[in-house]
Amino acid sequence: MSQGTVIVAPGLSSFLKSLKTTPVEPSVEHFISLLKRRQIRNSRPCAIATTALLLRVVGEFKGRDAAKLVKRIREVGRQLTSAQPREVVVGNIVRRVLGLVREVVDENIDGETNATSDPGHPAPAQHDSLHRPLLTSSISQYSPLKHAAAEPMDASFQSEATSDSGDISKRPPLLASHTSYAASAGTGLTQSLFGIFSQPETPSASNTPTGQQSPIGKGMLTSLNLERLTDFSKSNTNFDLKAEVMDGIRELQDELEQSDDLIAANALDHIHSNEIILTHTASTSVQKFLLAAARKRKFTVVHAETFPHDHTATHGILLTGKKRENSTVDEADWKPLIAAGIEVYVIPDSHVYAIMSRVNKVILATHTVLANGGLVAAAGAHMIAKAAKNHQVPVVVVSGVYKLSPVYPFDLDELIEYGDASSVVPYEDGDFVDKVDVEAPLFDYVPADLVDLYITNLGGHAPSFLYRIVADHYRPEDITL
Amino acid sequence: MSEPTGGETAPSPAPIVNDSTTTSGTPAQPETAAPPPAPPSKDAKTTEAAAGPTKLSAAELKKQKQAEKQARRAQAKSSGPPAPQKGPSNKEGAKSQKESKQSSKDDKSKSLPMRRRNSQPSVVTLKETKKESRKESKKDSRQPGLFFGHLYNQPRQHSIVGATKEVHPAILALGLQYSSYIVCGSTARMVAMLLAFKAVIDSYQTPVGTSLARHLTSHHLSPQIDYLRSCRPLSISMGNAIRWLKDIIIKIDPSTPEAEAKRDLISEIDDFIRDRVTAADKLIIDHAVKKIENGDVILTYASSSIVEKTLVHTHKAGIKFSVIVVDSKPLFEGKQLARKLAHHGIPVKYFLVTGATHAVKQANKVFLGAHAMMSNGRLYSRVGTAIISMLAHAQSLPVIVLCESVKFTERVALDSIVGNEVAPSEEVLSEGERQELLPLKPHLPAGLLTKLGESTDKAGVEKANSSGEVLKWIEASDNLQMLQVLYDVTPAEYINMVITEYGSLPPSSVPVVHRLSMDKQETRK
Repeated sequence: MSQGTVIVAPGLSSFLKSLKTTPVEPSVEHFISLLKRRQIRNSRPCAIATTALLLRVVGEFKGRDAAKLVKRIREVGRQLTSAQPREVVVGNIVRRVLGLVREVVDENIDGETNATSDPGHPAPAQHDSLHRPLLTSSISQYSPLKHAAAEPMDASFQSEATSDSGDISKRPPLLASHTSYAASAGTGLTQSLFGIFSQPETPSASNTPTGQQSPIGKGMLTSLNLERLTDFSKSNTNFDLKAEVMDGIRELQDELEQSDDLIAANALDHIHSNEIILTHTASTSVQKFLLAAARKRKFTVVHAETFPHDHTATHGILLTGKKRENSTVDEADWKPLIAAGIEVYVIPDSHVYAIMSRVNKVILATHTVLANGGLVAAAGAHMIAKAAKNHQVPVVVVSGVYKLSPVYPFDLDELIEYGDASSVVPYEDGDFVDKVDVEAPLFDYVPADLVDLYITNLGGHAPSFLYRIVADHYRPEDITL
Repeated sequence: MSEPTGGETAPSPAPIVNDSTTTSGTPAQPETAAPPPAPPSKDAKTTEAAAGPTKLSAAELKKQKQAEKQARRAQAKSSGPPAPQKGPSNKEGAKSQKESKQSSKDDKSKSLPMRRRNSQPSVVTLKETKKESRKESKKDSRQPGLFFGHLYNQPRQHSIVGATKEVHPAILALGLQYSSYIVCGSTARMVAMLLAFKAVIDSYQTPVGTSLARHLTSHHLSPQIDYLRSCRPLSISMGNAIRWLKDIIIKIDPSTPEAEAKRDLISEIDDFIRDRVTAADKLIIDHAVKKIENGDVILTYASSSIVEKTLVHTHKAGIKFSVIVVDSKPLFEGKQLARKLAHHGIPVKYFLVTGATHAVKQANKVFLGAHAMMSNGRLYSRVGTAIISMLAHAQSLPVIVLCESVKFTERVALDSIVGNEVAPSEEVLSEGERQELLPLKPHLPAGLLTKLGESTDKAGVEKANSSGEVLKWIEASDNLQMLQVLYDVTPAEYINMVITEYGSLPPSSVPVVHRLSMDKQETRK
């Protein structure tokens, strides 16, 4: 690895720099050690690093066997997630890339078998509509919502779906591959939502590669995929699997880059003049969201500082717009809220309940969003959400789709990471530390019923709808890495 | 003078005041007192060499006499209603205060070596002085504190510089202890105040031509109270105690000889402390201990002396239980509580309020102290208490409040905003936190930087790398403010039980008990 030459403290930027010059294996090792040492932490840096690494992995992959590529990515993914299972985002990105490979494969198979498959064929359509909800339910089998959203809107969306097919390039590919069987349940709704929210944005509002598919080439989304993968690798050799997957990963990178801006584009729909907004911790997504609203409206922000882990970053982001003095590479310069003329009041976390009666809206940053609509966020988020609920204040969660995880929280404690206790009580206080058990959880789990709205780069969603977006972004085969 | 209590019944001042001797003052929520040496009683006497006419140092004696003489003269001159006399003297005080602020910055820092506790070390006092004065001038242009604007009345007094001459040395000492949170917690503050008043009364001499009953309250006691208020707003218990004291002073028969009247008053105060605090605490502890069983996990927030006593008592009774202390910045009162409990051998876990959800999950009972119980059944207590009770309520844990009836008030409150006590916002950021922010300087927005440049020019020689720097950033940025209050109001529905010396009751019975205890007071006299 190239740390010898780089004198920066190890972190995301040094990793990205070294990635260019280092071969894949050492890079994987490097990333794993960074994850383990928590030198890369939090969702966005992890996501950026993972995509960059996987791009290299795919780039260095020799051979044309898709199954082997899947196996390879999976292997890397397993290593990464076991290095730091609580950075769920790493797993998310790996799954997205796996889905990408399958996508590319499917398209090409369909391209070949197109002649034989009838687009309007009823049987696959039915198969599809039955099958999809089943798949999602395997993600969240305890979700009470699974039956509610699965069946109803069948034919009603058909017309819309077909009319949509014009701007197919703006649609996420999984859906696109549905369009020929437009009757399939739920697709219509997703499409219309995607349509609404992605229209004004740049084309990359859709998040996985779209360029390659022909509007006619359609595929079935079944678990036959794996068999097909192997079949395919034998039969088909005249397309560039690697290049297409790499293109897809680059688009994923674009998505990561743009997700904050896409989220921020919704801001004016949710923030009105003279509102009092409560938020917590230091989150670029939230800050950009508020900034976008600040361009047109005047409001007041109350910021809980999230002591003891994030308070420095919180004050930093409020004063300067950056979390740390060495801001990461991807963060372009943007001014803090105070410079945009927004009044910001910093309160200690204990004041949340006292202030809540005057707050109009709570905006939470998140670490991971789970398939059941709950979220894992910085410690203190639960009490904020709960206090908001008790005061009937709407709770809005701002999150990129890449934070949306197919994991269902069976064991909540598994998701919670505990931080450095010395930030609560310094180790100098030996007497205290010896006798008293100091705990410093980094995260809180906020159940879905405390959240009123999710705003992602795809638009606004009810918490109960998230499982559907999960189904759109991850292949069921990849749920367990 | 103030020794009488010491002997009999292991009573009042000593236990309450001493109970936090372990560590140098930090203290505590509703109660818990004082710094290492029992503060009010002893401090008042020793450090200030105050009080009892017998023990006064010569200089102080002179000063005091002068003060009294002046008061007498002023009164003789005006001989009218108290108002005109009070007015000028107050103004005078204010003027001297202003003057001293301009001139004697160094004075101030000297006079105040331990202005704030260690957990939250503050900037050099010098800077604060500057800040205060600047804040004053700025006040009109900048409306402080969003919701709490109505509470920013006057900057808090952190020194004895502006005190009027009537203020008794014991009170001066106490005021400093209030403003630096060394005496903290409503019971401790009330007891400390009453003990200081004993010294005040003891050294009081009725001027010729008036009676003690008429003169003491309005002319001698109220400047003391005003000074205490300027150090930190009066607690509800203090208000109750002052009302009671004024009441008994007025009821003194004018024909009683002065010495006798003073003796009566002092013993009344001792009785009050004994009845309403010492004995009441005992009864409450007896009640509360029964609520703790083997294997319980008791959660408490910040620090309350009565909760602490209850837990220690239960532990000594041989019941095995563990305690979770949830705490919050900036006072970190719970740290002291956790330390003391651990010292007694009770297993203790310590969380900050951000981890409250996790803490509440592990607990099965919640014990809270109170600053006051409102007449609509709401609990007025250290900020953050409402969060704990909300989470506990959501988990169906019993929430039990321990509160002496002297802290009941006929006031009502709906939210934590209308009535509250704001604390200086610079306390939000501790020294260490400011230090961590320093490297951000080059990234500050340009507008702020230029403004800062100006202000540093104005201020002259200011070291760039001191941690006070960060405060200046915050002050200079028009839109960024720190907000800090001390209390919040917990809705009655989160509280399952209030344990007082009259027994255990639901929060809805608070007004009844309050009236009951008032009646009792009346009839006792």
